[in-house]
Amino acid sequence: MATASDRVFLRKASGLIKTASNTDVFIYDIGLVSIGLGLGFLLFFGPAAYLGGSLFVATILAGVAMLAVGLGMLTWTITIPRSGGIYNFGTRSMWPPLAFTLSFVEVTAWLFYGSFGAVYLAQLGIAPTVTAVGILTDNSGVESFGANQLAGRWGTFLIASGALIIGAVILASGMRRFFFTQKVMFTIAVLGTLAFLGTLISLSRSDFTGAFNSLMGDRLDVGSDTYQGVITAASGAGWHDPSFDWSRTIALANWAFLPLIGAAFSISIGGEIKQVAKGQTIGIIGGIVGSVIIWLISFALIFRTMGSDFLGAVTYSNLNGVEGASTPVTPFPTLLTGLGANSVALTILIALGFIGWIWLWIPTQILYPTRAIVAWSLDRVWPDVMGKVNERTHTPIPAIALSLAGGITFVGMLAFTSFFQLVIFIEVALLAWAIVLLAGVFFPYRRPDIYEKSPISRIKVAGLPVMTVACALGAIAAFLFFFNLFFDSFAAGHARKSLEVMIGWFVGAFVIYWIMWFVRRRQGINVDLAFKEIPVE
Amino acid sequence: MLRRKDRGGEYSIFFATDVHGSNVCFKKFIGAAKFYGADVLILGGDVTGKMVVPIARQADGSYLTSFAGREVQLASDEEVATFERRTNDMGFYPKVMSEEEFQELWQQPDKQEELFHSLIMARLEEWIEYARPRLAAQGVKCFAAPGNDDSFFVDEILARSGTIELLEGRVVELDGMEILTTGWSNETPWKTERECSEDELRQTLLSMIEQLAEPRSAIFNIHVPPRGTVLDQCPELDEELRPVHKGGNPVMMSAGSTSVRELIETYQPALGLHGHIHEGRGIARLGRTVCVNPGSNYSEGVLNGSLIRIKSKEIKDVQLTQG
Repeated sequence: MATASDRVFLRKASGLIKTASNTDVFIYDIGLVSIGLGLGFLLFFGPAAYLGGSLFVATILAGVAMLAVGLGMLTWTITIPRSGGIYNFGTRSMWPPLAFTLSFVEVTAWLFYGSFGAVYLAQLGIAPTVTAVGILTDNSGVESFGANQLAGRWGTFLIASGALIIGAVILASGMRRFFFTQKVMFTIAVLGTLAFLGTLISLSRSDFTGAFNSLMGDRLDVGSDTYQGVITAASGAGWHDPSFDWSRTIALANWAFLPLIGAAFSISIGGEIKQVAKGQTIGIIGGIVGSVIIWLISFALIFRTMGSDFLGAVTYSNLNGVEGASTPVTPFPTLLTGLGANSVALTILIALGFIGWIWLWIPTQILYPTRAIVAWSLDRVWPDVMGKVNERTHTPIPAIALSLAGGITFVGMLAFTSFFQLVIFIEVALLAWAIVLLAGVFFPYRRPDIYEKSPISRIKVAGLPVMTVACALGAIAAFLFFFNLFFDSFAAGHARKSLEVMIGWFVGAFVIYWIMWFVRRRQGINVDLAFKEIPVE
Repeated sequence: MLRRKDRGGEYSIFFATDVHGSNVCFKKFIGAAKFYGADVLILGGDVTGKMVVPIARQADGSYLTSFAGREVQLASDEEVATFERRTNDMGFYPKVMSEEEFQELWQQPDKQEELFHSLIMARLEEWIEYARPRLAAQGVKCFAAPGNDDSFFVDEILARSGTIELLEGRVVELDGMEILTTGWSNETPWKTERECSEDELRQTLLSMIEQLAEPRSAIFNIHVPPRGTVLDQCPELDEELRPVHKGGNPVMMSAGSTSVRELIETYQPALGLHGHIHEGRGIARLGRTVCVNPGSNYSEGVLNGSLIRIKSKEIKDVQLTQG
């Protein structure tokens, strides 16, 4: 009896082979979650700035919301399995100027996050590592270099810019080298994470307290029982451990949601995935679930080893500048675990793991805009030169260079100015995604000709197309988190400057589209033709 | 839309390729002249589909078929009609038959080939009938050529159509420019019908180039793209046609032709029209020659194309479209 795949007859003909395997997609997505950076955000900002917020509940909330967004995006990418992300979805479902605007807003936001990652590579990765090594080896020169030079403005700018340049050079040298580097860094990140979790499992509270007191006793000004002194000093400065607070927990969920968005980034490589439905499901859903599980385990182990009071106090004092009551550099989990282990080798291995996670963000956040820039150029809404692909490396070097220039500009602004609220750009990107998800709700009805060819077209939920339901849930989740960020003044908020940035970004992108439209018109080119569907008689 | 006489001698060609049997893509191709205001339509090679989808009648009156690797049960004739339309648009050849007929065909590859032949012929003849009144009404020239995936009988059907002019193996004059065409390609892992060695391909092309009065203003309509350009990048395959991975990553390679590249670089025609590599959508320059591969998304019912504006035998602009 013929099986399902046998019930067709094939003739000898060439075939389209897509490249990325399910494993590639999973690594791509989970790498873009950046488990290490998420852990850093949550364990630093959570206890310090969201008093009463539960890390566990916040992470689960963000995971559930991101699952909804991920499922919506999953239905989009299965239905339109092409590379280029929301630009492709948008141009098939909405007014092209709006589709371009959303794409522009989205890719510049991700570019910003590439820079954000690069800055944190310096401040939460390299500087604390060097400082920890200085402390563990009792070398004040190294300690000071890490704490003052590397974590300083220029140190941050140079490390972050250097990381972006290295990422861009790898991308420019070819996709094979890029994927290879990503896999190497993923391996390092996984090994570092295993070392981190193993160290936390092996350390008791008294081990940690003893090591911390011994290493930090002379460096802090909180009495002989340094561990307890940190808590006392922070309490004196206003830190307290309130009972569970839903509003703070929901706000804290922003910091888990932000990195989790990366789990849906494989929508940008939909055209390169061999088994798009299976690969994207494994990548997106696996990325979200895997990251949430690792975070929850890490929280439990950190709290068991270090104590939630201590973590809250040390991060609070660092964030609020309580004199002599916190570590010389940001008390990131790498630093604290390294100090607890009292081992230079382990500290470096753990730190390398976290640096690996942060690194995974950087070139990919350049890659994402690069693909969109090439797509815009091919559609003539961007200068032609930006779509040029190098014949030797087969990479779009002008687009990579433009992305790099934008990234370094963002790094400079993050390092030297306070222009950007921490994650203000996530608001505009989320809004763009929410609009695309909303368009997905109606897509099966507006474009049945395309939707009926999707492998998911026959799946119904409560009598509705699965895409309608998944995109509705995704849009709701995206809008909810947009407002969650909007009302979280610590993360993003809605200060006048922030609103100006957000609105200006949308308006600017819209204006760019029309400028290009008029320029092309003068050249005799009608850019509308790139997107419009030919009617069939 | 402006016609040529209103545009100071400028005219435009709409070129699409690799429609692989997709009904909707072909219909869009015919509609492209009016939609884009093109004066000439050129359909590149690989016009035929690759898969027959049997819809087997079951004892209980339902129909059993498959879609995207899954068995699909169709309950009514209406559902069958919808399924047929959908798969026709994706470039497949749906065929209603009894379960017994299906089981018999399943075991007899020769009969499958006959079935392919008849369905491909029927589809092409249906297309020609669709195109005839529409092209006549628009007064638009329409050319087509087969590709390496197309059987040789495709040429016969196109040649006798009287509506679509077959370009294969010929040099044809097009508004003062000459266009040479071949759907043959260098060797592929699939051992398809129109493959030859690079030397043979070079000889085929040279025999046509010799007929050109003015090679620098010619159009080289060659299905396979020039090697080592953005137009010919695809994953390397092993003997089992699986992508080759090194260090866990797919190895990308150029699948274009060295002969095509060499001849384009030598003779520097105005334009190169290519297809073959569906992923290779883009525009490349080899010296003064603009080479274009619009790529293909036929299975989604999207017609990738390129709109080429020409004036005084010079290429003014090439715009990629996704209609």
